[in-house]
Amino acid sequence: MTQVPSDAAQSAHVLSARGVTVRYGGLMALSDVRLDVPPRSIVGLVGPNGAGKTTMLAVLSGLQRPASGRVWLRGEEVTDASPQARARRGIARTFQQPELFMGLTVREHLVLAHRVRVKRRRLWSDMVDPRSLLPPSRAENERVEGLLELLNLTRVAKAPVAALPLGVSRLVEVGRALACEPHVILLDEPLSGLDMKASENLLSVFARVAEHVERDISLLLVEHDVAAVLALSSRIFVLDFGVLIATGTPEEIRNDPAVRAAYLGDDELSGSQPPPSWGHVHGGVEA
Amino acid sequence: MLEYVIAGLVLGGIYAIASAGLVITYVSSGILNFAFGALAFFIARFYYYLHTQQSWAILPAAVVAIGLAGPAIGVFLYAVLFRFLRFSPPLIKVVATVGLLVAVPSLAVVIFGDQAIVSAPGLAPEPVRVFQFLGVPVTMDQIIVYICVAATVVLGAVILRYTEVGLKVRAMVDSPAMADLSGTNPGAVSVGVWAVSTFFAGLTGVLAAPIIGLDAHNFTLLIAAAFAAVVAAKLRSLPIAVGVGLLMGIATSLIQRYLPPNSNWTTEFIDAVPFIVIALVLLYNLLRYRRVDEVEGVGGALDRAITPQGESRLAGSTTNALETGSLGLVSKYAGPLVLIMAAAALPLVLQGYWVGLMAQAFAFGVIYLSWTLVTGEGGMLWLCQITFAGMGAITTAELATNHGWPVLAAVLAGGVVAAAAGLVVGLLSIRLGDLYVALVTLTFGLLIENLVFTLPAFVNQGLGLTLNRPSFATSDLAFAYVCLAAFIILALFILNFRRSTTGLAMNAVRWSEPGARMTGISVVQMKVIVAALAALVAGIGGGLLVVAQTSVAPGEFDTFLGVVWLAVLVTIGIRSTAAALIAGISFVMLPALAQSYLPSWTGNVLPIFFGLGAIAAAKYPDGTLAEQSRQLRRVLLRLAARQSAPLVLDGLPGGPAPAGAGGEGDGSNGHAGEQGGSRVVENVP
Repeated sequence: MTQVPSDAAQSAHVLSARGVTVRYGGLMALSDVRLDVPPRSIVGLVGPNGAGKTTMLAVLSGLQRPASGRVWLRGEEVTDASPQARARRGIARTFQQPELFMGLTVREHLVLAHRVRVKRRRLWSDMVDPRSLLPPSRAENERVEGLLELLNLTRVAKAPVAALPLGVSRLVEVGRALACEPHVILLDEPLSGLDMKASENLLSVFARVAEHVERDISLLLVEHDVAAVLALSSRIFVLDFGVLIATGTPEEIRNDPAVRAAYLGDDELSGSQPPPSWGHVHGGVEA
Repeated sequence: MLEYVIAGLVLGGIYAIASAGLVITYVSSGILNFAFGALAFFIARFYYYLHTQQSWAILPAAVVAIGLAGPAIGVFLYAVLFRFLRFSPPLIKVVATVGLLVAVPSLAVVIFGDQAIVSAPGLAPEPVRVFQFLGVPVTMDQIIVYICVAATVVLGAVILRYTEVGLKVRAMVDSPAMADLSGTNPGAVSVGVWAVSTFFAGLTGVLAAPIIGLDAHNFTLLIAAAFAAVVAAKLRSLPIAVGVGLLMGIATSLIQRYLPPNSNWTTEFIDAVPFIVIALVLLYNLLRYRRVDEVEGVGGALDRAITPQGESRLAGSTTNALETGSLGLVSKYAGPLVLIMAAAALPLVLQGYWVGLMAQAFAFGVIYLSWTLVTGEGGMLWLCQITFAGMGAITTAELATNHGWPVLAAVLAGGVVAAAAGLVVGLLSIRLGDLYVALVTLTFGLLIENLVFTLPAFVNQGLGLTLNRPSFATSDLAFAYVCLAAFIILALFILNFRRSTTGLAMNAVRWSEPGARMTGISVVQMKVIVAALAALVAGIGGGLLVVAQTSVAPGEFDTFLGVVWLAVLVTIGIRSTAAALIAGISFVMLPALAQSYLPSWTGNVLPIFFGLGAIAAAKYPDGTLAEQSRQLRRVLLRLAARQSAPLVLDGLPGGPAPAGAGGEGDGSNGHAGEQGGSRVVENVP
């Protein structure tokens, strides 16, 4: 791992990216994108369909190798690290279509993530150690039960995830991410497909996570529901056609002409209409 | 040179027609028909029955066998089996066709008799006329093959490119869901395609019969070779499949020109050429694209959304607390304990020959445990476990007989050799889709069978290798208990593995590789370790088997025999260690019982039974026996939890369930249901 050589400010951020470029054949998915996530904060990443948001998350999490650009986690470069190596160093993520383990229960998701992060040795020793048949340790139980309680999942802890509705599945993914004891969680459109009540529940969970979890955790929220992002985030990055077109506070983003043009088109922008009702942009659900 | 090209074009033509049939079936239904060779054999045998045994003329026999019976078989198979597999995962589809591969040849024997037919007529009148073309003799049979290939290529291209039917088929290739929504009846298209596909199977069979004789094994091997063209075509491109099939035939023929004639190894190498082609094509694609997956680039968002990802995978059931937690240890393990005790009692109550068979049955139980690991736990369908068993067997015999190793140490060494091979196969298959994993492992098995197991040192002039049992267990009874002890130790290891953190991590990798990676789990490590462990277990099982038999014969570890082994296990239950023991006992004892106490034809009914059992995996992915066991467990659970009310998930963020998760019609065993807008999970403690 190399320390950040030139931009010392990046070491103050929990997650940073500079000059990220991704091409799919002739298509430029991301072009020279930069992004910073400060500690203990919620940062939004928005943009119209095809803007490159999910590709950016894939680059940050290591699932996509960029053509150029670098990524740092807490000041250490992780550009060449594998996804699992980044996960072990503190990057967790959720997926738009939940990537759950259908053969495991809700509780087992959290137990596994906890052991991989905290008791990695057990990943191998348990295989030949008959003590794996014994009950888990008290510390592990406390940690897992605490997370189940925080996410309101205690009642379904022993249920197989295949039987859960989408909203609960998303919570399980968040729980699994938290059990990894991450420094930053990347959330890929967590509200998509949820009704208003479920969206509100999930947003309140994010707020609780930011407030109540004992360690510093930042959230990078990719979401179509711009109103929700504006309400939750302290800083927002806006992508359009793979290019970073704006960055700033929610208020700055709300009034940024380039952002409004990207979402509404130049023709509509030229009129004198009020700022857009962000909650309904692109079919998003207003939180 | 020209004579080699002309001869190669015949073989290539047969490959081309077979690959055309395989490709159109795959693109229309997502099924790579591993039973294509078995169907070709069945129709060719029917043609032989009509033409030779019933003295029908060539034309009516060909019309009835190829033109009527072939398509009718296709329509029948679609109606009773394949239409239910449209949305099934690749593993289920593969296992269903593997079941057919096992059942159909035995069905042919039951219907037409078990007469060995080395020389079979083709479509040319006999005596077959020979023409001279540029000084090279060309038979009428060869000319008919060329005509059939040309007709296949021209008609296929015209139909696919210029007709409405072709347009519909191509639409289904690109996006089945959108084709469906556009008014295309996928059932009508599929039934037509299956009819055409089995027509091609029949044509392939009748054209190939004069060259390879009427032997089911040869047919299966021929079609497995045609898989090379299908793999090169990425399962989907008809022109590439036909072209590569033709080229492969010519290349195979030309290679013969440069290899020493009259050498057994030359024959084996020629047989292995298509499998070398498969290995090279997959290696090239892996290096170029980093991942080779049958579902990549197919369909749109809607297709992905309606594809089930839940429990309908083979052996997709869970060990979650919902099903097992309330029963307690005694209830949970009572069945397996009773089974072990009954199995342990059998050698005591049986005598002589039957005690020796029990030792072999327990050794087979060990081999079956390797599938419990790699398929039951790892979710990967490997078709080469018999090859690992063969490696273990040959290593054991070689070390114990020729190098003076203690027998049990040699058995362990055999396991280690197999594990090393499993490691290599595991590494190669990490970035392959489920279907390609099955193909790669089949290819690996056929390559080792052709190029390694046939080495003179192992064949020993057709005598094979012999060895003695360990001094403390020379009797059948004592060695039966050695094998049973090995089974129990390895079964306990698998049970522990399943509950261990490694087992959880393997389960995670199996269901979602991106999710596992983002949890900090190395997918590579998990897949490789399970592959190596499974190969180790198979190798040990193979070693124990040859010690039980006190010999290993050449050809004993035939890759396609391994497919029959798999069918037996799938019938009983791929995930249960107890099922592995029952499968071992069934595979050894049932044929022996049939041979000793029943009419001889019943011996051919057993493969049909096991083949049908494997086909039933489409409905019961965990095996029929395991399904019955689960039903019983559910009844016990309901009785135990009769007082507890169902839990309603009100107050939790709801919404629709994820795609494929317990949805109706996806074959899942999910326990969720809708009740007035709230989702209910039964019996949550």
